[in-house]
Amino acid sequence: MTASYDVAVLGAGPAGAAAAIEASSHGLRTIVFDEQVAAGGQVYRASPRIEGSGDADGDRLRDAFGKAGIDRRLAHRVWHIERGDKGFGVYALGADGPFNATAKALIVATGAQERYVPFDGWDLPGVMGLASATVLLKSQRVLPGKCVVVAGAGPLLYAVAHGIVAGGGRVAAVVDAQPRHAWWRPDVLSRPDLVLRGIAWLNALWHAGVPIFRGRVVRSVMREGEALRVCVVGNGRVREIACDTVCCGFGLMPSTDVTRLLGATHAYEPSLGGWHVVVDDDQRTDVRGLYAAGDVAGVVGAAAAPFQGRIAARSAARNLGRTVDSEGKRERDRAARFGRAMTRLTQVDDEVIAAIPTGVTMCVCEGLTRATLEAAIDDGCTTINDLKSATRCGMGACGGRVCEDSVARLIALKTSRTREEIGQATGRSPLRPVELDAIAGDFDYDALPMPAPAPL
Amino acid sequence: MSGYDLAVVGAGIMGATAALRAREGGMRVVVLERDVAGAGASGVNAGTLSLQIKRVGLMAYALIGHEWWRRAGDAIGFKQTGGYTLAFNQREQAMLEDRMRQKRAAGAPIEFLTPREVRAREPALSNRIVAASYCAEDGFADSTRTGTYLRRLLREADVELREHSPVSAIERGFRVTAGGETIEAKRLLIAGGAWTASLAAMLDVTLPIRVRTNTVTVTEPGPVHLHAGIGHATGLLTLKQKPNGSYLIGGGWQGVGSPATGRGRVLAETLLQNLRLARFAVPSVATARVLRSWTGYEAFVADYWPLAGALPGVPNAFVLTCVRGGYTIGPCIGPLVADLILGREPALPLFDPARVNAIASPALAAAGR
Amino acid sequence: MNEHSLRIGNRGAPIHFRFDGKPIEAFDGETVSTALWASGVRAFDGGRTYFCAMGVCQQCAVWIDGTRVEACRAVARNGLDVRSGA
Repeated sequence: MTASYDVAVLGAGPAGAAAAIEASSHGLRTIVFDEQVAAGGQVYRASPRIEGSGDADGDRLRDAFGKAGIDRRLAHRVWHIERGDKGFGVYALGADGPFNATAKALIVATGAQERYVPFDGWDLPGVMGLASATVLLKSQRVLPGKCVVVAGAGPLLYAVAHGIVAGGGRVAAVVDAQPRHAWWRPDVLSRPDLVLRGIAWLNALWHAGVPIFRGRVVRSVMREGEALRVCVVGNGRVREIACDTVCCGFGLMPSTDVTRLLGATHAYEPSLGGWHVVVDDDQRTDVRGLYAAGDVAGVVGAAAAPFQGRIAARSAARNLGRTVDSEGKRERDRAARFGRAMTRLTQVDDEVIAAIPTGVTMCVCEGLTRATLEAAIDDGCTTINDLKSATRCGMGACGGRVCEDSVARLIALKTSRTREEIGQATGRSPLRPVELDAIAGDFDYDALPMPAPAPL
Repeated sequence: MSGYDLAVVGAGIMGATAALRAREGGMRVVVLERDVAGAGASGVNAGTLSLQIKRVGLMAYALIGHEWWRRAGDAIGFKQTGGYTLAFNQREQAMLEDRMRQKRAAGAPIEFLTPREVRAREPALSNRIVAASYCAEDGFADSTRTGTYLRRLLREADVELREHSPVSAIERGFRVTAGGETIEAKRLLIAGGAWTASLAAMLDVTLPIRVRTNTVTVTEPGPVHLHAGIGHATGLLTLKQKPNGSYLIGGGWQGVGSPATGRGRVLAETLLQNLRLARFAVPSVATARVLRSWTGYEAFVADYWPLAGALPGVPNAFVLTCVRGGYTIGPCIGPLVADLILGREPALPLFDPARVNAIASPALAAAGR
Repeated sequence: MNEHSLRIGNRGAPIHFRFDGKPIEAFDGETVSTALWASGVRAFDGGRTYFCAMGVCQQCAVWIDGTRVEACRAVARNGLDVRSGA
């Protein structure tokens, strides 16, 4: 079954929802796909049937999204997209089976994912990221643990720590890789409301007796019976902290699966979260008909996302013959300043990668340690693809989404090149694992269009 | 700049095995590779090493090539699992019986089995099988390891390998510019797979090579249900399950792309047909999750026979490509072409490239375009 | 929820399913991962109940009624047969 649309939007987070609503307001036939059961993306993620899940901003987004004249395909996994004469073919899988659509324009608003940095013990049960901890706290209303070490860098650090304390849990320590003064940048003051919220969080943590260690990182996590023992280093000090859960994250990276698959040009910029799809001032990529909005084009935060989404939709509308002027760019750029300043805080030093012990598993899917990967690099593998062929790194179920960045940095370190020079892996389909039966659907053998048989 | 007896362009199974034989014969050899060893078809194919899918006229070559893979063994993940070819209706049965008889006559130890016999050995197979053949010699290798393996063989044989060195210019005599450096070699072998035509064009030779964009798919590891490799009477399905439970699904379903612009793209419609056929033949594949699909380029000429021999109109230049079933056959035909280059009589006939109306003069080439 | 629970705030209707044969309690709207997590199941053979929580890392992949799916994306329902192995 293939329905056709003017605009397809991938992602119903703040950028995608705004893009879809805007597109339909110009009379464009619009469809939105999102894997989750409700709109909101990751930043406003909510499980509507759990009391207290989500927040007011997310609820407002879901309300507007639900009322707009758009075709909503929530709980749909888009597994493939291809570009043809008629525009874009989107192949998705919903609860009822395959659902495919074609669209003249495609707006990619797939957001960002956590940046994973391996350390000794990162693969133990009870160790997770900061974005993951946020999902547990805000969307699923469950504590990551009863006694948690919260570590890493960036705004999620204090959001998670506060969320745990507010939810009735204990934070054994906050381990902030950045020194205190790193937070005080001019762009941070562009959002006094968020600054005040951050101060309120720190106040709550202080009241709860949570120690905050600055300029330090988690060196290792070990299992001790049912508990975890965390070794924290920095500023010439070493400290061990007992807990049952560790939430550790170093910011977000754009989720560029789709834009890579479609062959758009990407660029590397640490202050935007690393590799991101390149867009012009109208949110256009260099692939005709393909637009990108939100964190996928650079991690600049939720405030800028709706502006980007609306600009992308207006560009698409213009391209499809509607008379629409371009506006909102100044507001978009202003809104991005705070988010970009936050992203700057999450950059990972080479030291952190260099310090990963050789016995640590870096590619969890395939069980590959740093030592194994380094041996292959020493043996001549100097590119992501080459290392992949030689060791299977990145060929597991996660498709390299968890390990690619740190492995690329390892290659860079060992071959004296920059992260940028190492590049990204090629985009491949399916975009996420999908059950063969589910996408194949029913068919009649005799109706299978078989090409000519092989020559004898 | 230094003098080599032979410059080989392309470090896939063709170029590498030819280079190894030439080295054995005493030549000083350099292999120039645009990417890394085995980055082309040799490293991205489905890994099938099956005699049943070989052309009758190439069976003698396949038997020899197959032996080379068996000796490579664990280094390349070689598994001799046996293989079945299945037919699901009368038309396919007729095709199967006719073709397999001819292949057996050509030397492949193929037997016919009843559907009941097949399902007794492989319970995971479809209950709609109408006819089947079996070859105990069939198996598969882990094609992703080809590059690493070839790199090691070349290093151990003291063959110079220059990776990340795309050839940008070739002058007769020969002076070959690759990766910013120019080397001199008395002889040249172009074994560039899907890139061969553009390489030959540097010498004003037009080879009417076309390229297929074959789709391969891999599923998530899981419980093992299938032990042998599976093929289809029409050749349109190859299916095997690796020891960790991943299925590898191929059969030459076409994606889209061109070697000049990079890797090809998978097309959903052909991919889905490939997957449906796989599930029909082996129902247990249904619950496996598809992890990744990709394409690889396979060069061919209109008669589907190899180009293996002297490059028309250019003394001391040779070409080796367009070998259908090249993964199995490469280790046989590469050395045969090297024998030709060494001035020896190859033990099996080669396939004269001149037959495909190759043009060796710029004026004629211009007129032809 | 009581002070020993990891759950924050109130919940709606209870849901019951099985994980590797063991009974697990969940609540309306929770994912299978959340229910396992709150029940103290943080890992199983070949995986972790929660790592990325976004359906990306695949470490929480389980078999639910014969279909393989990420536990962090699967909504808990009454009577599900969830298994860590096929």
